[in-house]
Amino acid sequence: MTSDKGKINIVKQKIQRSAEFGIPMGQKLFLFLVVLVLTIILGVVGILMITGSLTAGLKESEQLVENELIHASEEITQQYGQLSTQAINFSKGLSRSIEKKANDLGISLSSLHEYPDMLEEIVSNELEQTLLTLQISKSSGVFFILNATINPNLVNANNSKAGLYIKNMEPNIINSSSPTITVLRGFPSISRNNSLPLNAQWKMEFDTNDASYYFEPMVEANLNKGLPLSRLYYWSNSFVFPDTSEKIMLCSVPLIDSKGNVFGVSGLEVSSMLFKLSHAPNNREFPRLFSVLSPTSDEHIFLDKSMIAGSLSTRIVSKENSSLNIVKNKNSLYSYWQSKDNLYWGTHITIKLYPEDSIFHDGNWIVALMMPDEDIITSIARINLLLFSLLVLLFVLGVFASFILSKRFVKPISEGLNILKSSDLSEAPKTKVPEIDDLIDFLSNSNGESSENTGSDSFSLSLLNEFIENTKKLSPAERSVFNLYVQGHTAKEIAAILYISINTVKTHNKRIYSKLNVSSRNELLLYINMLREVGKEFN
Amino acid sequence: MRKKSFTLIFIFFFIMIIIIGCNNSIKVNSKNPITLNLWHNYGGQLRDTMDNMIDEFNETIGSENGIVINITSISGSSTLHEKLVMAANDDPGAPTLPDITSAYPKTALVLAKKGLLANLNQQFTTDELSKYIPEFLQEGQLHDDGLYVFPTAKSTEVLFVNTILFNKFASNTGVKLEDLQTIEGIIELANLYYVWTDEKTPHIENDGKMFFMADSLFNYSLLGCKQLGGDFIINNSINLHTAQYNKVWKNYFNPAALGQVAIFDGYATDLAKTGDIVCSTGSTAGISFYPTTVTYADNTTEPIELTILPYPVFEGGSKTAIQRGAGMSVIKSSKEKEHAAGIFLKWFTKPENNIRFISSTGYLPVSKEAFGELMSREIDSVSDENIKKLLIASKIMQKEYTFYIPPLFDGVDELQKQYENKLRETALEGRQAYTELLNSMDSEMSYDAVFDQMYNEIINYFP
Repeated sequence: MTSDKGKINIVKQKIQRSAEFGIPMGQKLFLFLVVLVLTIILGVVGILMITGSLTAGLKESEQLVENELIHASEEITQQYGQLSTQAINFSKGLSRSIEKKANDLGISLSSLHEYPDMLEEIVSNELEQTLLTLQISKSSGVFFILNATINPNLVNANNSKAGLYIKNMEPNIINSSSPTITVLRGFPSISRNNSLPLNAQWKMEFDTNDASYYFEPMVEANLNKGLPLSRLYYWSNSFVFPDTSEKIMLCSVPLIDSKGNVFGVSGLEVSSMLFKLSHAPNNREFPRLFSVLSPTSDEHIFLDKSMIAGSLSTRIVSKENSSLNIVKNKNSLYSYWQSKDNLYWGTHITIKLYPEDSIFHDGNWIVALMMPDEDIITSIARINLLLFSLLVLLFVLGVFASFILSKRFVKPISEGLNILKSSDLSEAPKTKVPEIDDLIDFLSNSNGESSENTGSDSFSLSLLNEFIENTKKLSPAERSVFNLYVQGHTAKEIAAILYISINTVKTHNKRIYSKLNVSSRNELLLYINMLREVGKEFN
Repeated sequence: MRKKSFTLIFIFFFIMIIIIGCNNSIKVNSKNPITLNLWHNYGGQLRDTMDNMIDEFNETIGSENGIVINITSISGSSTLHEKLVMAANDDPGAPTLPDITSAYPKTALVLAKKGLLANLNQQFTTDELSKYIPEFLQEGQLHDDGLYVFPTAKSTEVLFVNTILFNKFASNTGVKLEDLQTIEGIIELANLYYVWTDEKTPHIENDGKMFFMADSLFNYSLLGCKQLGGDFIINNSINLHTAQYNKVWKNYFNPAALGQVAIFDGYATDLAKTGDIVCSTGSTAGISFYPTTVTYADNTTEPIELTILPYPVFEGGSKTAIQRGAGMSVIKSSKEKEHAAGIFLKWFTKPENNIRFISSTGYLPVSKEAFGELMSREIDSVSDENIKKLLIASKIMQKEYTFYIPPLFDGVDELQKQYENKLRETALEGRQAYTELLNSMDSEMSYDAVFDQMYNEIINYFP
């Protein structure tokens, strides 16, 4: 503490000395150079601001997210398009096959519900085709539902439908010897006879209560007889299938026999894990960037009906509030508001899951890429921090260079001044600063000339001293006259001042001249002037 | 003085260079999160619990430390094993290894030997490790004294009984749950159950129903021999030439050939779903996969009320049960990722979190504190009745049983598959041969003929 005070005092003293004696030349030069460096850096900052380089990070991020979005939307469109086509083909093949089987059994598909005992045989007969579709479609599940139940007497019989639903638990594994295909819905005999385990959440039949994936395509197929299946397929929103735990999307297509009877639906599944593994955006730049496939209306995204892919926990995103409000930013892409605490930044694009003339083409879907708002802020701040660090480094380098330059500049001048203070300039070394070397040469020559005059100067001084000594020999009267000469008075003035005659003055003059060893009044006045010049006084 | 100034300037520049240099490297903090991909095998109903735990971590400790856990695969145990081995071998079509994965010791051993796993001793201090149950840690010390599988939740095997079915049987025959304490008791009841169910359809002969299934025939044999004082595995090979194994074999083959015990290549829960068995031995973790209802052939359903009993013991044998359950392994990568994985594992196995996880999944806790008083206290507050029953059975076993860690060696997985397939195949052949012989001789003679033939076949298959 005391040492700090001591240091402060030293600084204060230095400042006071600087104020008193002025700032040394070296320091002045250093400060000048520092100001110059600072001015240049401020100029650079100004240029960066004018050219928009300080917001370049945001533009780069926008570009990156937009590119990712294009990539993601193309992939999603392609995947969903392929799955739609495969679902249609599956429905066609299945409709034919089931109709043939029904004919073999001697029953009509329009009255399928009247033959519950036949259902197990009909459903089991389609396992091979269902498994094949699962393998070639690269979907996470394949299903078909018949408009019939094996037990019409049960309480919930109206909403219980027979069918088959097989799931591939690992759709992303190409080679696998262990069983990854399980039976989610269907007769247990299908599982036992084909070594397909029952899914942990297995049930025998489908619960079609509030099942849009079942009713929508069937209702529309009945209302629009003759419309091709490519205009009747239906993509459900993302939802948790009853009595299971995973969110899925289903593409369902009506099952129609050759007579136009709609007797069920069939389709493919995209599980949330399949979507996540297929469409997670590149998160090298933004670890929490995620993609969303969502139905949209009135500038809202509905997260509870969406598929989400990315490392940010989708459950966190969609837990509290299911919808995001889309807001276009003035300067940058879009903001997606959920609540005060949940704000996302990103962009989106509309995609089509249906042809223009599809029954379901009114449904609007978007693919969005977004991340927590704070991530983009942090990213830009990081880029600007780097820029700021570089500018600081540049400034420090400038200050360091200024310090070195001012030191180097002043060094020969200080050395030159030291040389000038020395007695023998003739043997002084060259400073390699032409101006200083010239000055040393000049002063060296001047010193040679003045040394020649030194002898006469010392002689004159001894004469003056002798003159002063002689003044002490003057009588009081002579002294009075002499003093008046010293004061610059003439002989006449002296006679008048002392009330004596001019002859008396002349007499005193002779004695004064004799005692002071001068020959005339002019010589006397020369001595008096010389004494004045050297600053000596008469006592 | 001048020298000092230059030193200060040099230090300043050095620091500046470091600061700027660091801007380009990945430092884990809340503003610069690191993502860890996680594979686990907690599917079915366990999935929700796991998802909630991960979400909670991401929102709290993960958020503070800049760690995001991203689940990229939820597979069954065997599929997970296969995926990891495929990825470790760099097989065509194999997925990229995650950063953290659930792994059984047998899987981790394959990865550790290839140098793909991080040694977790480096992420935990001795003091931290001392808080875990030593036997559980020991199971993960596979190779070079390193800790490669961190215990996150353990399991043992218990006996699951469908009480609704059992009570119907008991009320007609007078059998008791206590009869299920021994393997011999179970087999005796299986015989009675077959007869009882067969009698329900007098017009159809030999259509009695199965009573019991052991989820893992390998574990059944391993533990059976151990309980009887023998060793099923000697020098990394299966050893069937013992009196103990003869007894183990007899208690499986006899009822299996007679149709009283299941011969099924799948989980017992599949048969439980359709009421085809009454009881089964299986992992405590299987509780989450146990159906809540039985669905009969006509789609009518009946709720299942479970009774969970300690693992059955052979008469005269010691109370021995298996210690099993996957832990978590960390794939070797950057120091930041390994450190982040360590933070996750510490959080996941903190006593209060460990208890929360086991309270809804049926696993057993791994820390001394959690397995001790904390578990006893928590049992009463567990809302799921089945989990509560399971924890009570586990507590009893913890006091009375010796837990046995199965031997681990190269190829144990393949050997296990081979043995189980052969045993099932033999039992199936036995059942067919017995059924055929019944037409020409009496049941006892038929059985004796088949038993000897099949026993010789299997013991000679594993010389």
